[in-house]
Amino acid sequence: MGSASKLEQEGEQMVDLIFTVISLIVIVPLALFLGVIYSYLLRKLSARFQWRVGPMLRMYGDLKPLLGTTRLLQPLYDILKLYGKETIVPDVSRRRLFVYSPYLSLFFAVAAIFFIPFPGMPLLSGVPYSLIIASYLLIASILFTILGPVASGSPWAAIGARREVELFLVSELGFVLSLFAVAIARQSLVIWEISSGGQSLYLALLTVTAGALMFVAMLGKLHIKPFDMPEAEAEIVAGPYTEYSGKLLGTYYLTKVFLLYGLVALFISLFLPPIATDVLWLPLYIVAAVALVFLLTSVQVLNPRYRIRNAINWYLKVAIPLGVLNFIIALAIWLVV
Amino acid sequence: MSTEIKILKQVLSKYSKPMTLTYPSGVAPDRRYSQIPEGLRGIPERDKDKCIGCRACYFVCSGRATSIYDKGEKRTVEIFLFRCTFCAHCQEACPEEAIKMTNKFEIAVPNREDPAARVLTELDLLKCKNCGTPYVTRKLVDRTYERLMEKIDPIVKETVSNDYKKLDGYCPDCRRAYGVDLDTHTKKYVWLEGV
Amino acid sequence: MKFEAAPDVAEYVKKEIYPDGLEYVPLRENRVIVKVAPGDLTKVAELFVKKFEARLLHATAVDLELKGFEVLHIYDFSKFKDRLVVIVKALVDKDSPEFPSIANITWQAAWAEKEMKELLGVKPSGMPDPRHQFLPYEWPNPVESGSIPEGYKFDGSTTAKEMYLPLRMPIEEAYQTLIPIGPYHPGVIEGQIVYVKVEGEQVVAADIKTGFHHRGIMKLIERRGYNKGAFLAERVCGICSASHGLAYITCTENLYESEVPERALYIRTLLAEFNRIHSHLLWVGVVADVIGWKTGFMLTWGLRERVMDIIEAITGNRVNYGIWRMGGVSRDVPQELAEKAKRTVDALREECAKLLLLVADHPVVKSRLIGVGPLTRAQAYDGGAVGPVARASDWKIDVRIDNPPHAIYDPKVISWEVITDDHCDTFGRTLVRVKEILVSCSIVSQCLEYLAKTTGDIRIKPKTVPLGAEAVGLNEAPRGELAYYIRASDKDSSLPHTVRIRTPSYRNNAIIPLMLVGSNLADVPVVMGSTDQCLACTDRLEVIDNRDGGRKILTWDQLVNLSRRASRW
Repeated sequence: MGSASKLEQEGEQMVDLIFTVISLIVIVPLALFLGVIYSYLLRKLSARFQWRVGPMLRMYGDLKPLLGTTRLLQPLYDILKLYGKETIVPDVSRRRLFVYSPYLSLFFAVAAIFFIPFPGMPLLSGVPYSLIIASYLLIASILFTILGPVASGSPWAAIGARREVELFLVSELGFVLSLFAVAIARQSLVIWEISSGGQSLYLALLTVTAGALMFVAMLGKLHIKPFDMPEAEAEIVAGPYTEYSGKLLGTYYLTKVFLLYGLVALFISLFLPPIATDVLWLPLYIVAAVALVFLLTSVQVLNPRYRIRNAINWYLKVAIPLGVLNFIIALAIWLVV
Repeated sequence: MSTEIKILKQVLSKYSKPMTLTYPSGVAPDRRYSQIPEGLRGIPERDKDKCIGCRACYFVCSGRATSIYDKGEKRTVEIFLFRCTFCAHCQEACPEEAIKMTNKFEIAVPNREDPAARVLTELDLLKCKNCGTPYVTRKLVDRTYERLMEKIDPIVKETVSNDYKKLDGYCPDCRRAYGVDLDTHTKKYVWLEGV
Repeated sequence: MKFEAAPDVAEYVKKEIYPDGLEYVPLRENRVIVKVAPGDLTKVAELFVKKFEARLLHATAVDLELKGFEVLHIYDFSKFKDRLVVIVKALVDKDSPEFPSIANITWQAAWAEKEMKELLGVKPSGMPDPRHQFLPYEWPNPVESGSIPEGYKFDGSTTAKEMYLPLRMPIEEAYQTLIPIGPYHPGVIEGQIVYVKVEGEQVVAADIKTGFHHRGIMKLIERRGYNKGAFLAERVCGICSASHGLAYITCTENLYESEVPERALYIRTLLAEFNRIHSHLLWVGVVADVIGWKTGFMLTWGLRERVMDIIEAITGNRVNYGIWRMGGVSRDVPQELAEKAKRTVDALREECAKLLLLVADHPVVKSRLIGVGPLTRAQAYDGGAVGPVARASDWKIDVRIDNPPHAIYDPKVISWEVITDDHCDTFGRTLVRVKEILVSCSIVSQCLEYLAKTTGDIRIKPKTVPLGAEAVGLNEAPRGELAYYIRASDKDSSLPHTVRIRTPSYRNNAIIPLMLVGSNLADVPVVMGSTDQCLACTDRLEVIDNRDGGRKILTWDQLVNLSRRASRW
């Protein structure tokens, strides 16, 4: 090894570092944009399922001068509107926790997406144990959507947070089981290694079973019906968000957008490798994301809400056996193949 | 699961067209407008030429939207649309069939004082020959005479007709004051009491 | 068609039902007044409720100024004789208006007696639950005439704080949390409070408090007269406006020797049933929304929109039809329109059958509805449930068969059936309503068939209402039995002296706490929704702000300024 090659290597590392820093800066607005598009799709598709119009993709000719050409970014406008509203902090809340929780939640959600690759941008997904880091960051983000409401002092928020905790516990179990099934089968805890790995028949089988489990866990994490009881409007007003308003509520909604993007990206990078690695796969990545959002939407529109007890039972009956099955398949793949 | 799939089918059968219709009365080619039915009971309209200012609509108005007042030489009959319940009682009660319900429905205006919130009819009042006080509309006098002549007992018809012409043009106060001078038949309305 | 009483109805009541009355007065359509002494009211109630199992329609009082108060208990005896309604009357003194309460005997009188006590100032003695129902709990008793007495201070300091800050409660109390559902709550759109005490998610106690909006419609009808009253009656409730119109017209037509042309009766039935269809569709949608199924909500309301369009084409209005007149209806249904509407209704019926049965078959919907809000037949009878709530408890009562309003409901003329169900829970209520939609569709279709084939008069000029006449009018509203009592003025033939409305939600709301206890917190809105409550009909409180000294009219600029001030931050 000559010094030139060492220099070259250092130079390469430098370039890599710069590229990583740039991509970290780029991914935040990109994730926001994609999250908003996914939310838009959720809204538009469920509107069309329900015989409604939904936010317009192409505005009617005579409304264009009033409302603009498209309402594609409607979810973002809704959040921005909240930032322009008065923020009320209840007298009885534990003020510091109440105010900082939304921002911490947002911070962890944004931190989590740094560890999930995007086509052409490995970001930090190559660092050791990135799978565990990402899943912990996602958990932390959800944890702060529970802590803030509990500090608000509202009975609705208390009940909502309680439901959120119960749901979180059971859905997290499925989530973790599916993550580690993949990790065992691919013998890696680095997301980048998993997502750039090859495919085989056995792995495809695991993609189906563990993917289904991950999808089910996502329903609970994103509060898709029938698992939206933490914020069941008719029962407990707005659940955890009852006392939140203005900027703080906007921050929570922003967190949700990032979470939606993060979970969809994680799903694709873990179960559909190598879509999330090279920039050439970008069209396929978009197709996969839209298909996933479509599936989420159809579950959302076709189901009423469960009671929390039914939901827990359902998870215990369906998700946990499925997780164990995944584990066995993953172990088999690891040991046999 | 099968039920969900059936529901999905039912939902998707209408998938291509949302039920939402836009506000009626537009013409843009890319939109579907809701239809106003033929018989919609909307804003009542009053025919100024037919209205005689008789107050029948005022008495039957169920929402107390109709008011009628004299100002100067004009009698104003108005319907305040913010109070109107569109019950069509006035249409039924109008002896001259001057009021008709239309299928117009846009009554929202920013200000209560806006004339668009009212259906106004201004009628000229007849001035008393003697004292000059405006007291009633010409058409009301004429129509009352016509209707009286249609239904009156033939025995008293001539007397009443003569008296009516003598009294024509005097306000109620002057009639009372100059009843003797005008030489009208004081007992001519006796027959009415039995009715 | 003429509506007359059987000639011997007063003798029948005297001989078969209650022999010890002071006086028996027959009214039109087999309504009989029995005058008794105030002390006998409990005896009569016990006899009627326990022995005859007659339902109490309403208990109310009439203010006869110097003569005193007349306490009325109106019982439905249609089981015994066609259309028989017995009005038990007792005159109590103005100075000490006391009489024995019958709420101990039947819970059906509980709210009605509270209403009398709070709004008229009579004193039923020995009430089981003397707290206010329509006035605030803190309101001074007895009621002063509309004004707050001097020196009175609203004392919301201690109780309110404990009520709304469960997390600052002592540990032993925080274990059981008191949750106020209402007065403004997204699950229950209208204003009322249901206090539920929960242990975890389990409801251990429930209480209901109403009295959040009052519009004084009964008093307004007393001021406006019979003809204009029909429009006010319609506006009691926006959803069942046709039922209120029909019940009011039935009542006023019982005041005089009425005659109604047959075509008008068909048009009345048509509208009342259209009303039921859209109300029940609305209900299915609301329940779907309450259990979190927006799609079900959208689909049923999509169907409802088509019903509303037909109604709009027929009457000219979507919500308050305004066609009810004494002696007929004001607007004919042209033959072509009837034919066209019939085709639409037939298509709609098929679509409803397809969709609604699918909704009722959805596994998650079933899991949310079966076994929720149980109400046995005995409980339904004791509490005085009416309408679909009673019918879902396997209790076959329907005013359209028992004591029909002035419309065509004769099973010989129009084929239809009363739907009952033995689930005795929210799922049963859903099934009853879904099936009633289909039955109503077939009634509507038969009416339209008649209207498309024939022509005729739609209105006969009403005669003058005799002074001092009394009448009871009943109708089956979508939510249950609706009762009107009108007493004509002694002085003016165009004004009623007293108007009393007993709406179905008034009864069904009183039994909500019974259904709530033991259920899951997630099911509370579903149970409350399952009675299809309509608070606009139920509430009785009136609060007049004396400080302003008159109403204010805001102009556009003032409104803009106000909203700007409100949204400044």
